[in-house]
Amino acid sequence: MPDAATTVIRPPYPAHDALWPLVMMGVLTADHAPNGWTLPAPARRTRVALIDTSVADGHPNLDPALSRDLAFDLFSTRLGAFPWRASDAPLDNLQLGDSAAAVAGLPHCTALLVALKARLRPGQMPRIGGVRPATRATFSAHGTAAAGLIAARPARARTEEAHLPGDTDGEIALPFMGVDPSAELVPISTNFDPDPEALILAFLYADLIGADVIVLPRILPDPLRTVPEMPAHDIDGTAFADAAAPSPLGQKQWEMWDELAQLIVNVSLRRPVVCAAGNANEEFGIYPANLAADDNGVIAVGAVNARGWPCSYSAASGLTIWGPSSDGERFDRAEVRLDVRRHDYDPVGVPADNANHRFSPFSLIATDVPGRGGYAASPFPGPEPDGDLREYGSYYCRFGGTSGAAALVGGFLSLGRSLGHWDRDDGGIAARDWLLSRSKPLAAERGDARIPVLSGEPVFPDDSTP
Amino acid sequence: MSFLDILSEARFTVTEVALRLDAVQAALEPASGGTGSAGGAALFALNRNRNRNRNRNRNRNRNRNRNRNDSAGPDLSIQEPWKERARLHELAANWTDLPLAPPPDPDQLRHEALELLEKQHRLRQPEEALRREEILTEAELELSRYLRPLGIETTGGFEATIHLMLVLMALTDEVGLRYKARWNVPRPNQVEPRLRPFIAQPAHASYPSNHAFQSFALAFVFCRLLPEHPASSELFRSARRIAENREWAGLHYAADTQAGYELARMVTPVLEEVLEPLMLAAQQEWF
Repeated sequence: MPDAATTVIRPPYPAHDALWPLVMMGVLTADHAPNGWTLPAPARRTRVALIDTSVADGHPNLDPALSRDLAFDLFSTRLGAFPWRASDAPLDNLQLGDSAAAVAGLPHCTALLVALKARLRPGQMPRIGGVRPATRATFSAHGTAAAGLIAARPARARTEEAHLPGDTDGEIALPFMGVDPSAELVPISTNFDPDPEALILAFLYADLIGADVIVLPRILPDPLRTVPEMPAHDIDGTAFADAAAPSPLGQKQWEMWDELAQLIVNVSLRRPVVCAAGNANEEFGIYPANLAADDNGVIAVGAVNARGWPCSYSAASGLTIWGPSSDGERFDRAEVRLDVRRHDYDPVGVPADNANHRFSPFSLIATDVPGRGGYAASPFPGPEPDGDLREYGSYYCRFGGTSGAAALVGGFLSLGRSLGHWDRDDGGIAARDWLLSRSKPLAAERGDARIPVLSGEPVFPDDSTP
Repeated sequence: MSFLDILSEARFTVTEVALRLDAVQAALEPASGGTGSAGGAALFALNRNRNRNRNRNRNRNRNRNRNRNDSAGPDLSIQEPWKERARLHELAANWTDLPLAPPPDPDQLRHEALELLEKQHRLRQPEEALRREEILTEAELELSRYLRPLGIETTGGFEATIHLMLVLMALTDEVGLRYKARWNVPRPNQVEPRLRPFIAQPAHASYPSNHAFQSFALAFVFCRLLPEHPASSELFRSARRIAENREWAGLHYAADTQAGYELARMVTPVLEEVLEPLMLAAQQEWF
């Protein structure tokens, strides 16, 4: 029997609305009605390019958003493969734009653009030389979560084999939504090799297909720009970055990393580039979020929790904007922000003067890989029955970080475009300025953070007291 | 009817134990006690997500294998992965004829061998002591260059991750040997006899480098498995160092390294299918 003196009953976690970020940003009302907007029927849906891991298909909330024709994988094929096109059907006319202005003065990017355009010509095959894309749905968790926060739409699913309580045969409503449920989402997937070539190609492809918004919820492993103070240092005459590399980079690699940075800025002048700013309080953000400046359209996104505080892991100033996200715990010299509801929370050593009241347990809920893979795995061993829902549990997961916040901000920009608040010809700076014009600051003592708010005042839903 | 109307019919609520799907009537009028579960079709989905425990997981069973690791290192022997190998063979059409560039011509090989002569000289200098040590360690099956960036070298609780790595090494060995046999490229010291390999030379052909291929394959597979890990790019740097060390040891041309990289990249889609059950098991140790 437990010793009463050592048994601590923790306060319960508050139940909360899974769509709280949309309510917080004034996109939905508290009862989930569109907050003063109706979706027009545009000639072309707003196109959001997501440069991330691959994205799972087969998700009822996500499938209507995914562009099966344009999804592009640069993981396994140097010049890219189309994962969802029939492998034996030649490409049709992809209606590509002209990206010459984006690569002006960048010789490596220019050469890659020429190669990419040749690869994308009508008549080319979706896959090259029999190489398959590395886009298996099972291992597509990060991209699937980000995609759903941007563009998932409410859906119904057949439930003939559903493991649900009661008589649920028939259809079940799945009331989940990303910020812009009318957007067309184009997954552009790469591997994580610290090689700039695939990343250059990813941005060129996003530009060629005329993406209205580019979302990049990840860091790019540039040898210098991940740590901006690095170039100024050397160690006994050896450049710091060289000293830190187990294998020296060739001249071409260095030049391509430089060109990639310029390419991102150039592309951002044509269309906004929304970047996660990092989950370790990085001042001005990780790379390439740290490229954000007044004179470009790179948008560095931090995270704000459901209580209206910058998340413990997010910088509170120096970024462009902050999106809603799950919070995290922190215990260091700068801040003590702990989850006192956690079952193994230990008060020993926690200073009385702490910031635990800032912590919010509200989770960002996102779309997850259906079935066995993803962050929330199905207990059923096989794939979902064809076209049917077996259980909705594996379709959603907790997500967070500035990845989640950046996806939501990317969706917010997309919704603004879909509603005609900014025009695709305006360019990235105008899109960023529209975003800032629709933002509200947090309370004064909470840093310089601003969050996007479509209508009204921000509503911070977590007013619980543990 | 707009799809947005679905939002007015039902809603998802995050509770302590599940993502609860409620008809709106139930959600707006919670049952007494405040849990609002009446009419809800609750499923225990979210509590299977162990994201929140990611950092804590790394401390799990930290001491469990300490004695074993301190003495002889982890046991790297595995049973023959017959199930995965059978699946690999079923998919042979997807990996036996990948568009890997043929090897350089003999003149280019002689040129590359000259670069290896320079590396041979530099390897014997005092400042390359660390590299010499690495080459000796990496001559045998060895995982520290992958486990250390991931932070699991001396930590129990990652047996499935290590098992995945070992099976991947076993399968890719076979894949690489097929391509080596196709072109049967002579080792560098057969082209340039003044190259004196620093360690024993394997009996098979040079192109592509299996050390490069297997190391990069591990990095590529791992960034499908766990792209969020801060080490996902570092594993590629580890792989490149391992591959280049084989050049420094006089065993491989630079072209072998590059071919190993390209083969690994192209074969990853096959590996993620063949290894899916093992990758899912490994993922459970991290999520």
